[in-house]
Amino acid sequence: MQAEPSQYSDNDLLHAVARKDEAALAAIYDRYRLILFGLILRILHDRAEAEDVLQEVFLQVWRRAADFDEARGRAFTWLVTIARSRALDRLRSAGSRARLAEGAAQTPRDDVSDAALDALKSETSAIVREALAQLPDEQRRTLFLAYFEGLTQVEIAARLGDPLGTVKTRMRSGVIKLRELLGQTRDLI
Amino acid sequence: MEHQEYQELLALHALDALDASEARVLEEHLGTCADCRAEMIELRDGAALLAHAATPAEPSAEVRNRILSSVSAQREEAQSPSAPSARVVPLQPRATRNIWTIGLRLAAAIAFVALLTGVIVLWRRDVRMRQEIAQLSRQVNTQQHELVRDRSVLDRQRDALALLNSPTAKKMELAGSQTAQSARGTFVYDPKTGRAILMAEGLPATPAEKAYELWFIPKGHSPMAGRIFTVDASGHAMLPEQMPPEAMDGAVVAITLEPKKGSAVPTGAIYLSSPSS
Repeated sequence: MQAEPSQYSDNDLLHAVARKDEAALAAIYDRYRLILFGLILRILHDRAEAEDVLQEVFLQVWRRAADFDEARGRAFTWLVTIARSRALDRLRSAGSRARLAEGAAQTPRDDVSDAALDALKSETSAIVREALAQLPDEQRRTLFLAYFEGLTQVEIAARLGDPLGTVKTRMRSGVIKLRELLGQTRDLI
Repeated sequence: MEHQEYQELLALHALDALDASEARVLEEHLGTCADCRAEMIELRDGAALLAHAATPAEPSAEVRNRILSSVSAQREEAQSPSAPSARVVPLQPRATRNIWTIGLRLAAAIAFVALLTGVIVLWRRDVRMRQEIAQLSRQVNTQQHELVRDRSVLDRQRDALALLNSPTAKKMELAGSQTAQSARGTFVYDPKTGRAILMAEGLPATPAEKAYELWFIPKGHSPMAGRIFTVDASGHAMLPEQMPPEAMDGAVVAITLEPKKGSAVPTGAIYLSSPSS
């Protein structure tokens, strides 16, 4: 992969990584480091730990890229799923819990380069955030508890003190809305 | 669980929010349902958009370097084993070749022994299975014979009942002779069809090499041989018979003891007989 990386699709890059193309791995890193690191940081609330996990994630991408099958979902989904589950695994390990308790109050400082943030804002994130902002507060909160804290439906119902049926309905309609959003804006996202 | 119920779980599964047991049940369904699988993919793609809700953050530049140098190191490690052997080969070509030759011969010998063992094991198993099959088929044959016998007993009893119930049936009582005073018998026949049945009781057990034989003795005729039969331990016999047309009109029915294969004319003593008219 000698050419300008941006002209390759996510799928092309992952297939190249599966062939052990280091430049393709670097290109994926450059393309998704902000969003993946943001995701991991949101789950762990600790920069050092999040950087550790980000490294693990890309080493896993390097080893397992051959497992990626575009017939079974988008490349973005594949990457984000690895990052989220690695981060949640770390969150569940005992050491992180203690650290999480210490730094729970402290909001992570995100040093994002303006250019990168602008690029992101102009595209996907803005569309998704806009859609999420239009959801009822409780629905959004339910989705975030599941996604960023890795809670099950039963745990969320207990946390919020809401009936399980209500929690299920909120999650279901939230995910279905996101799918519709994806269908409407597939070219953009 | 119905398909509809699985579908309701899909969105929750896209968030990994199902309990472990529910998730397991759904995964099993996904293995067999292409529709749900397709929907699961779309819902997961949708749920993954939630990553955009996190504020993007810039990791330190070191992370990129660590990842890429780790990857390069892994690749060099993966390539390294071939390098030393490439250097070794020219130094000791003969030894290496000998090792290879011996190794190959050894491998071939092991493979041959394994093959031979496999053939013997398979052959012995084949023989054993053939024996088992033969035994099973003998059992099946025996059971079939028993079935056929049971069925013919049933058929005979059904025929006997039909005959006994027939309004046109005629009945003759048979009395024991001097030789078998406690023997009694009933002979029923249908003059329209000639079907007949003999029911006897109190006959002495059939001696070895002997059999009872049924005779029809029409007026003015010599005796006509009927079927031969034996009795069970309690002296009972039930024997279907087809009556010759000549015997329909007032023939005497009698039972004698004859050689096992029966006789063309009566040779033994009379045991049972209908009254001569």
